[in-house]
Amino acid sequence: MSWIAYGLRGGILTTHYPHGDDAMPPDYRGEIEVVGANREHARRAAASCLSRAIAVENDLHVDVLRCFQCGECARIAPDVFQNRNHFELARLSEAPKTTIDALRERTRAFGRSVHIRHVDAGSDGSEEQELTAIFNPFYDANRLGVFLTASPRHADLLMVSGVVTRPMEEPLRRTYAAMPEPKTVIALGTSACSGGIFIGSQDVVGPVSAVIPVDVLIPGMPPSPLTILHGIWAALGRVLTRSASQ
Amino acid sequence: MIGPTSAAAKAGELIRAGARLVWIFAERMDSDIILHYVVEDDRLHDLAGPMLGLTRALTPRVPAADWYEREIAERFHVAFVDFPEHRPLTNVVPAEELRAVSSPEASTVLYGPVRSGIVESARWIVETAGEDFIDVHPSMFFKHRGLEERFKTASIELAPFVAEHASGATASSHAAAFSRAAERAMGIEVPDRARATRAVLVELERIHQHLDSLAHLADDASLSVGSAQLFAAKERIHRILCDATGNRYARGVICVGGTRFDALDPLRETCGRDLEQAEHHARTSMHRLINTQSFMDRLIGTGRIPHEKVVQLGGVGPVARGSGVACDVRTRDGYLFTPLAAEEALEHNGDATARTLVRVAEIQRSFQLVRSTLDANPTGAHLAAFESKDGAAIARVESPQGELLYFVRIENGALARVAVRSASYANWPLFVPSLPGNIFTDFSFIEHSFGAIQSEVDR
Repeated sequence: MSWIAYGLRGGILTTHYPHGDDAMPPDYRGEIEVVGANREHARRAAASCLSRAIAVENDLHVDVLRCFQCGECARIAPDVFQNRNHFELARLSEAPKTTIDALRERTRAFGRSVHIRHVDAGSDGSEEQELTAIFNPFYDANRLGVFLTASPRHADLLMVSGVVTRPMEEPLRRTYAAMPEPKTVIALGTSACSGGIFIGSQDVVGPVSAVIPVDVLIPGMPPSPLTILHGIWAALGRVLTRSASQ
Repeated sequence: MIGPTSAAAKAGELIRAGARLVWIFAERMDSDIILHYVVEDDRLHDLAGPMLGLTRALTPRVPAADWYEREIAERFHVAFVDFPEHRPLTNVVPAEELRAVSSPEASTVLYGPVRSGIVESARWIVETAGEDFIDVHPSMFFKHRGLEERFKTASIELAPFVAEHASGATASSHAAAFSRAAERAMGIEVPDRARATRAVLVELERIHQHLDSLAHLADDASLSVGSAQLFAAKERIHRILCDATGNRYARGVICVGGTRFDALDPLRETCGRDLEQAEHHARTSMHRLINTQSFMDRLIGTGRIPHEKVVQLGGVGPVARGSGVACDVRTRDGYLFTPLAAEEALEHNGDATARTLVRVAEIQRSFQLVRSTLDANPTGAHLAAFESKDGAAIARVESPQGELLYFVRIENGALARVAVRSASYANWPLFVPSLPGNIFTDFSFIEHSFGAIQSEVDR
């Protein structure tokens, strides 16, 4: 039996997302929702948050761009914080301000095909594996016209994973500069979005937005393939996403 | 603790008598720098002593010491006596200084740190005369994030999350190795149920990482369907983990004292439902792969590392086992749960084929181990309560890439020093002798047959 026959015998595995619905398992730690107001409990949970994603004073909320999905707050204070299996976590950048219309306008020229260039600025290695996974038969990003390209000269989207380390600052700038206009930048993973647990570390410059302008942020440690598809779809101006402040 | 230079001398003595150099690392204590020489004969020795003015380098006699001594010299700003001249290991050298070559016919190619495809950042300085590799120098630590420093501001309870950032794709191995070191330092007995859970998570991790390596190799050979099927089999493992633990890489499960929640019942349920299908998918596609002649032709003889080189440079994991060096931590060390039967998956050709066959055998064995551990289903608590206590210890785990070690020192209830020796770090020096004699298009085959993770090297 040939490889092709073997592949066909496996049947269709591919999701319809984003054209149809898909879901993560019920216990997936996607996003933390604030369900209570007990400040005392919230403070105790906030003390156990390594990336300081929980703001307790004034408006009690969890910054999804800082959250690395450990679920510790929901274990310590389940009356205040609950895990939700949401995966549509991508956000549009607030500063500089991006809108879904502007992204759609910018990417109109790409037609039905978009080419992604990836740069690792200091990831933990799992973001790369999840980005690779969007091309596996379960997600098949090619069906959406999404392709990888080896050269920044051919790239429409720049996907940057990881917190930016000092030695990677310059290579990242140069890759960005080598891309033709119009260009869109996606920060992949919590560390890329906000610095995650490395905020303030002497060895890092900061999140991707500290080095080049970012349009779309995809949080998660690592973001699931569905979350990455959601972010790419947003970068193409196809789905409405919440902005970073919401 | 032993005297000034005698730690190095004692280590040298044990190595001459046949012991293996496992690791050298340093820690700062008050104004002293303490060097730890970790060597293994029939057991693991941690020989520690303060570094004074005159500590002789081990590297001239023990090549495996090279990267360790270079990293210590650069990070702690100290000098070893008799240390050979080198390009810096951890400090990134500007590109224009790297053009020098060993012969006028050769040219130098800087490959990286940004490379094509979805890869982690690292740079290779390749000397070549057209197609053939003459020499290659790794230039790494572009991704150094200060991970070991980050531990110092994390509590012992939260520190496993930091360990998971060392390598997110092998998070369970890192969390388990860190937790075991901390548990040893504080004298904590971990309940059987937690040990079983850890063993299942680390074996599932081995399966998805080995499948990742095989899928990349298939892709290198332009075997699109093969690559797609192997990545699909990998995806099935991530889905099992996500169903059972809430994270596709099982992050946030393992902690000091056991596991954060009881993950064994969910694992039994999801594995009972989906493991057989995942195993079938993995087994059929990898058997098809190793029976595809056009694929195997690309691997045979590619990136060969002789047995002696592996021993000399201290290789570990599937890379070492492909060259016939037995080194599986699971066969020793009072392992996580059920120890592996004494025999290891060994191959003797030392090429990319051998490393691939080792991985294929290990995937099958890991499925068996997952099943037998889940069947054992030890009852009891998933977490041991503990009070923090001062102490220091080393522990190791067989991660998918090989032997992974953590050193943990706890002082006044806080983490004073955490050091990591990853398998990928131990194996990169072997990449250098594996290249000459091969041609440029072999590079990605050799790289993927190593299956290294750059973030656990650079930390």
